[in-house]
Amino acid sequence: MGTLEQRRRRAGYAALAPALLILVLILAYPIVDSMLLSLQDLRAAGGTFEGRFIGLSNYGALLEDRTFGAALSATAYFTAIEVVVVVLLALGVALLLVHPFGRFGIFRIVLLLPWAIAPVANAVLWKWILHANYGILNVLLLEVGLIDRNVVWLGTARMALHTVLAVDIWKSVPFIAILLLAGLSKVPPVLYRAARLDGANAWEQFLHITLPQLRPTIAVAVILQTLWSLRIFDLIFVLTKGGPADGTVFLNFLAYRTTFNFLDLGYGAAIANVVFAVSFVLALGYIWLLQPGLQRAGS
Amino acid sequence: MAEVELRAVTKNFGKVAVCRGIDLQVADGEFVTLLGPSGCGKTTTLNLVAGLEDASAGDILIGGRRVNDFTPFERDVAMVFQNYALYPHMTVAENIGFTLRLRGIGRAGRRQRVAEVAESLELSGVLDRLPAQLSGGQQQRVALGRAIIREPQVFLFDEPFSNLDAGLRIKMRAEVKELHQRLRVTSIFVTHDQEEALSLSDRIAVMREGAIEQYGTPAEVYARPASKYVARFIGSPPLEFLPGRVEGEGGLPAFRVGAAAFPLPLRTAERLVQGAQTFALGVRPEHVVLSPAGIRATVRLAQPVGPATFVTLAWEGGELVARVPGMASFAAGSAVHFQVDREEHLMFFDDHQGRRLATE
Amino acid sequence: MAGRRVGRLVGPSIVVVGLALFVVITIGPLAWLVISSFMEQQALTTRPPDFSAASFTLANYTGVFAAAAQLGQGFANSFLVALFTTAVAIAVGAPAAYALARLELPGADAILLMILGTQMLPGIVIAIPLFIVMSHLGLVDTRSALIIVYLSFNLPIVIWILRGFFLAIPRGIERAAAVDGATTAQIFRLIVLPISLAPLFATGVFAFIESWNEFFFALILTRQSARTAPLVISQFAGQYQTVFGQMMAAAALAIAPVVALAVLFRNMIMKGFAEGMVKG
Repeated sequence: MGTLEQRRRRAGYAALAPALLILVLILAYPIVDSMLLSLQDLRAAGGTFEGRFIGLSNYGALLEDRTFGAALSATAYFTAIEVVVVVLLALGVALLLVHPFGRFGIFRIVLLLPWAIAPVANAVLWKWILHANYGILNVLLLEVGLIDRNVVWLGTARMALHTVLAVDIWKSVPFIAILLLAGLSKVPPVLYRAARLDGANAWEQFLHITLPQLRPTIAVAVILQTLWSLRIFDLIFVLTKGGPADGTVFLNFLAYRTTFNFLDLGYGAAIANVVFAVSFVLALGYIWLLQPGLQRAGS
Repeated sequence: MAEVELRAVTKNFGKVAVCRGIDLQVADGEFVTLLGPSGCGKTTTLNLVAGLEDASAGDILIGGRRVNDFTPFERDVAMVFQNYALYPHMTVAENIGFTLRLRGIGRAGRRQRVAEVAESLELSGVLDRLPAQLSGGQQQRVALGRAIIREPQVFLFDEPFSNLDAGLRIKMRAEVKELHQRLRVTSIFVTHDQEEALSLSDRIAVMREGAIEQYGTPAEVYARPASKYVARFIGSPPLEFLPGRVEGEGGLPAFRVGAAAFPLPLRTAERLVQGAQTFALGVRPEHVVLSPAGIRATVRLAQPVGPATFVTLAWEGGELVARVPGMASFAAGSAVHFQVDREEHLMFFDDHQGRRLATE
Repeated sequence: MAGRRVGRLVGPSIVVVGLALFVVITIGPLAWLVISSFMEQQALTTRPPDFSAASFTLANYTGVFAAAAQLGQGFANSFLVALFTTAVAIAVGAPAAYALARLELPGADAILLMILGTQMLPGIVIAIPLFIVMSHLGLVDTRSALIIVYLSFNLPIVIWILRGFFLAIPRGIERAAAVDGATTAQIFRLIVLPISLAPLFATGVFAFIESWNEFFFALILTRQSARTAPLVISQFAGQYQTVFGQMMAAAALAIAPVVALAVLFRNMIMKGFAEGMVKG
């Protein structure tokens, strides 16, 4: 151990310090605080916060709260379906773009657009498209004859949930497709050549070379999409505000509503922590998946 | 005075010992090569001398001073890197002058000295170009210029020619040799190319798995290799080892390999028979000649390479490669006779440890 | 190339249809956004919509600034917040990324994992405590509050992406600089940064886009004066009487700069972010 390592370390920690400080202050502290908040009965009234410590009562109340239960199952349903559909569709899109027909840059620009749009702007756009009387969706469907009457897409709880699902899928597929494209491009072409010499046809090559090589990327895509599905907010806020009949109240939105509309901060924090816990477990999975990459990159 | 000395230098990366107790002395003005296959620790050793890595143990001395805690700059060493490592966003002039700029020397002063160095390397015409606009040879010369302008005590070379094509390699080798003869700066050169090591060095340190196997002049490592490892590494194509035993009670002693018997000088025979060990014989292809008075063998393979042809000879019990001058053609299976041209060229190795048994 | 294998997987006609569908479905809604933003309310509320030349107008764009309270201010706020967030994130994040990439610090892996972990946080978790803190500090409805909070999720991304780029710089160049006499700081300033201008810029663009598009924290932390564009637009869209064309105009204005940036820097964005998320 000589001064080279010492020098590096000094420089390194100095370089890291501001960033770490910011992150600790803005992230670490609130996370801890969120745990503490959830253990209190804290309400905001008249601009002040009054709270008292109640231990785990908030969490206990969650178990019996039917709204929470409904939000939980709605979120699980929504997330599960969205992840599966998004990953499958994105895989299809990625495969299309990897085909010689799809190699033009214009397709990749198209791919980037839904990601670049502000989620709120997206929500506003779809609010217009889905408008019962004048929205272009109904107009087109009527014109083509697929429906004979205006559909109120956000009219019932069930329809609203599925409509929101479809819209979010529309927004999410392109970016996951970009992810999968990156993974596809990493498959060594020589593997395909070897398989061809071994007599594999296109479908077999896809099954035995493409998919296995793509597995880590798909796993990453699944986890990322799950995390993003859990966070859905902008769409709900603009399109349904949780309705109709709380049909589109997902966990994230519920936490928001409880805290900022009902001003029940302690309870809201408890809900938020549930979302956090689920995300945390998923994040661990993500990190575990990337571990080999980290070590390799670090050497 | 710029001697370089390594005393019991060890370097561990985690649990892996990349350099194990290296002892090395390089005299002032000497050109020493660290030679070995990839992974043997030669580049790490070089980096330790440069100060780009910290030694886990041991002392590194330059000019008599212990420099373990010094920065590369403080050690007054300059380095030429594999892949040249030129700063891509700087012109040739800026690349060469960077070290002066770091020292605070003003633009006028820099320009003068850069011009001098560039002139000596025939780079005066490309001073304003970016590295990407230069040829491989020019880039290498810029790398040299960057090192020369430092006027260092020690030059370090990290496989600088591995990325050049064959013709350029030979040309650059000559330039480095000329440079060394001109400047007489202590130099340590790392390569895996034994021909390069032989042609450039005053002394060669043949390395194996983190330690120096033999440290000697090119003549020594060529003609008197310390072990099988060194014998095989030096010389091209690598020589083969033939297991056999000593025989010849009463008459002239010989080393028998199957159907072939190689005459042994008496003293050699005496040394060999002490102790019941197995031996191996090694002969360099260039010392195997085809001669009608020799041992009978058949041609297995003939590989013409231009100035010579390497012929693989097989007989009952063994195989040798003979270097026949010129582009010769041999039909596989044809019968020839061969012998070793001089007794001194027979090298005997103890099979157990791989050490060469001194026969002089 | 994987493409040829796919080619034989399904017939070329299916690929063409697939690509066409993909483009239409993806671009369709966006095209409609732009088109309807140029159409008069009259034209949009007849069935079917009136696409004659007379229906098209620029009135929505001029009118929206009056109709949507503080749209201009919203844009200004968005711009300032995004700009400052990006500037700080890069200024603080680049050295940190370099330290993590090159300086072989013990604990670097742990720090990296933590940074990665922050990306997984749902905003709601820190929103509540931060709201309380900002209230106590009197920073509710200020741009500074937003900048601080936006840093929390932009800084990790910036560090992560830049680290990936710094790792790809050939070590030889940094070693040569060290031998030439450069300190670590000088190597970073004089060698690493100048050759990293493109990734730095692209990462900045990425952070800018994320900040510009952000809604949740803006909703929670701003009231009147620090409202950002997404917030203004959502409020505008929530009004009872909507001129649809104006609503679309507002949305179009909000997304135009970001889309332009994304398209300009698409290569670096796709490379840095996507690959960074995939291979770490």
